[in-house]
Amino acid sequence: MTAWIDFARGPLFRLCFALMVLGLLRIVLITLLGVKEAYQRSSDKIVSWKEIRRQTIGWLFPVARFWRERPIYSLFSFLFHVGMIVTPLFLASHVLLWRNSVGFGWPALPQEVANWLALLVIVTGTGIFLGRVLHSGARELSKFQDFVWPLLIMTPFITGYIASNAVISPRAYQQMMLIHIYSGDLILLMIPFTRLAHCALAPLSQLVTGIAWKFPAGSGDRVAETLGFADRPTWVPKARLATAPDAAQPDTKGESRK
Amino acid sequence: MASVMKVLSKPLTPEEREKAFKSSKKVEVLARQRLPVRYHVEDFDVEDRPRRFLEAFASILKHTNYRLALDHYIRVTTRCARCAVACPIYDATHDPHDIPCYRSELLLSIYRRHFTVSGVLRARLLGDPGLTDEKIQELADSYYNCTACRRCHFECPMGIDHALITHLGRYILSEIGIAPRALVVSTREQLTGATGNTSAIPVPALIDTLEFLTEDIQDEKGIHVPFPVDQEGAEYIFFTAVSDYMMEAETLKGIAAVMKATGGSWTIGTGYYDGINYGLFYSDQVMEHALQKMQVEAKRLGAKKILMGECGHASRTAKYFYPTYCGGKDALPVISILEYTQQALKEGRIKLDPSIVTERVTYHDPCNFSRTGWIVNQPREVLKAFCADYEEMAPNGRSNLCCGGGGGTVSIDEVRPYRTTVSGRLKAEQIRRTGAHYCVAPCANCKKQLRELVEDQGVECEILGLHDLIYKAIILPPDPKPEEELDETAGGSVKLSKGGES
Ligand code: SF4
Repeated sequence: MTAWIDFARGPLFRLCFALMVLGLLRIVLITLLGVKEAYQRSSDKIVSWKEIRRQTIGWLFPVARFWRERPIYSLFSFLFHVGMIVTPLFLASHVLLWRNSVGFGWPALPQEVANWLALLVIVTGTGIFLGRVLHSGARELSKFQDFVWPLLIMTPFITGYIASNAVISPRAYQQMMLIHIYSGDLILLMIPFTRLAHCALAPLSQLVTGIAWKFPAGSGDRVAETLGFADRPTWVPKARLATAPDAAQPDTKGESRK
Repeated sequence: MASVMKVLSKPLTPEEREKAFKSSKKVEVLARQRLPVRYHVEDFDVEDRPRRFLEAFASILKHTNYRLALDHYIRVTTRCARCAVACPIYDATHDPHDIPCYRSELLLSIYRRHFTVSGVLRARLLGDPGLTDEKIQELADSYYNCTACRRCHFECPMGIDHALITHLGRYILSEIGIAPRALVVSTREQLTGATGNTSAIPVPALIDTLEFLTEDIQDEKGIHVPFPVDQEGAEYIFFTAVSDYMMEAETLKGIAAVMKATGGSWTIGTGYYDGINYGLFYSDQVMEHALQKMQVEAKRLGAKKILMGECGHASRTAKYFYPTYCGGKDALPVISILEYTQQALKEGRIKLDPSIVTERVTYHDPCNFSRTGWIVNQPREVLKAFCADYEEMAPNGRSNLCCGGGGGTVSIDEVRPYRTTVSGRLKAEQIRRTGAHYCVAPCANCKKQLRELVEDQGVECEILGLHDLIYKAIILPPDPKPEEELDETAGGSVKLSKGGES
């Protein structure tokens, strides 16, 4: 079993981690390129960057927004996310792993704090799982995987917590570690391909939405043309004022007055 | 702070539910159109709807930017249902199908299934037959239950804009012939009809109305206040919901009075005088063409700025989409009359008598003004300047509640029971709680909806525009000319401009 564990926290971990980073980079890049293309396609370059920035930052640190609606659920969700990111990164034994495998590390959290954080993740994770199950709307909305995610994410935390805190037999300890590491690797691997990708994409949402409201001029006519409705009676169907405002100037007097 | 909406909220009783969701459609129509929705739709090919829907979807994806948003949204959506609390519809019905995210998921799932590689592969594996006619019917129902108020956008931690999805969904539906007849008929008149506006008001009738309004002001205030028509080179060209010329005389008089007091150079163009743009609610093509008409008229008269009257959706389309379709950064600046008036008041160019309006006043934020944060404080500043008893609703400002008639639904008369029992439910409660005598709603759509709402819900409150109140209180500088001369030139500007028109 030790060999399995070593494999999972050595090469397998490195592979999963690398795939996660590359996968996330890929979708972030795709999104940003999409934003650029959409921006270029629309002739309207008036974008309220300030608003986009405000909303983005607001949601990255949503403390002020909890209290508006569903405060308990929101608070739980926030703490869940904080614990989930901080604990694995700053746990002493994880930092040690990094130091051993890549040669550098960073200051770790005291074990005591890390323990509390892990507990926090477990409690809040259960909370948001129950929130999904008990809230009639959320339950109806959710698909199977939506219920599975919090459970899967809690798995390495539960097993890790037991392994490092409970007094258990060495064999049970190894089993816990096995589940802990493999589930951790699995999560890393799945991040870019599932909705966990929101860890990298959510900060781009406001930007994407802001740009998506910028429609390309003439798109409506082109859509109609493609669908074979080019002869659908519309007002001066062929005038593309947006692209050539001045070219369409003459003879407009009679046109609009009929 | 506990959720304000909780305080207001009153679940539907079974009778109300029945009344709100009853369809007034005839059985033959339902059988023929196979579209169990409450709004009327013009007859259109029903065969093969799923295929045509997908074709329309594909072609829209090809020529527009929606793909960017769809791709992103399907990657991040977590279906957490937090948006449920933001939606006034869900608050009334408590039907999970009215959760904004569920609404969006209807379209997102079609996108995932038919337009992404993984979706297509997965469907192959599972033998999923794909889009069905039933799903289209559900979409057609759901997307017009939503009032496109965009309130849910602020509550989505993932930043999904459900109203963008609603907008797209309605656009696709309209391309296969599913769009409320009320909207389609109006835009047809606006874009291809003889009168060129949604209310089919011909130019002579417009001129008559304006002359009449001028006389009215003369009688009431003793001052000649013109409505300039077709004045070339005016600074502002004025567009408002054209229905105002029939229904909102007081608002128009207030606007003219403000323009007179400030000496603003403005004009109404007889070539095109309709600010309404239902394209925002169901079709990008319609939206673009209506804005182009505006552009042509503005150029014809050589106006320097576009001045929008009291209408939320008209102002939003002009402000945010006029640049999109008519020249980007070079497009004419768009200003709302609300901004204009507030500015003038701040500079001391208009005087309002604080002793006239003594009743309690409250302010309803039209979503299309407030959601983007464009116009929130301006009208409040104006109101507070002359209304002693001013009371806020809660929630207000950027997170206000929709009047219940957004997204064009206000123009669909057959869904009135729905609007006044479901979508406007919280609003009625809000207004009732302020105990206000006047509810100021500077938007033609909101005004119509709120009037029906207070009537059906039995709330004692008069709904009016901001300039209606201003008109009551404005102190106009006396005309410099002696009385006799004034009589001769009454309505002069109209006559004069008629000469210059042809
Ligand atoms: S836009 Fe408004 S009505 Fe539509 S789903 Fe969102 S909150 Fe509800």
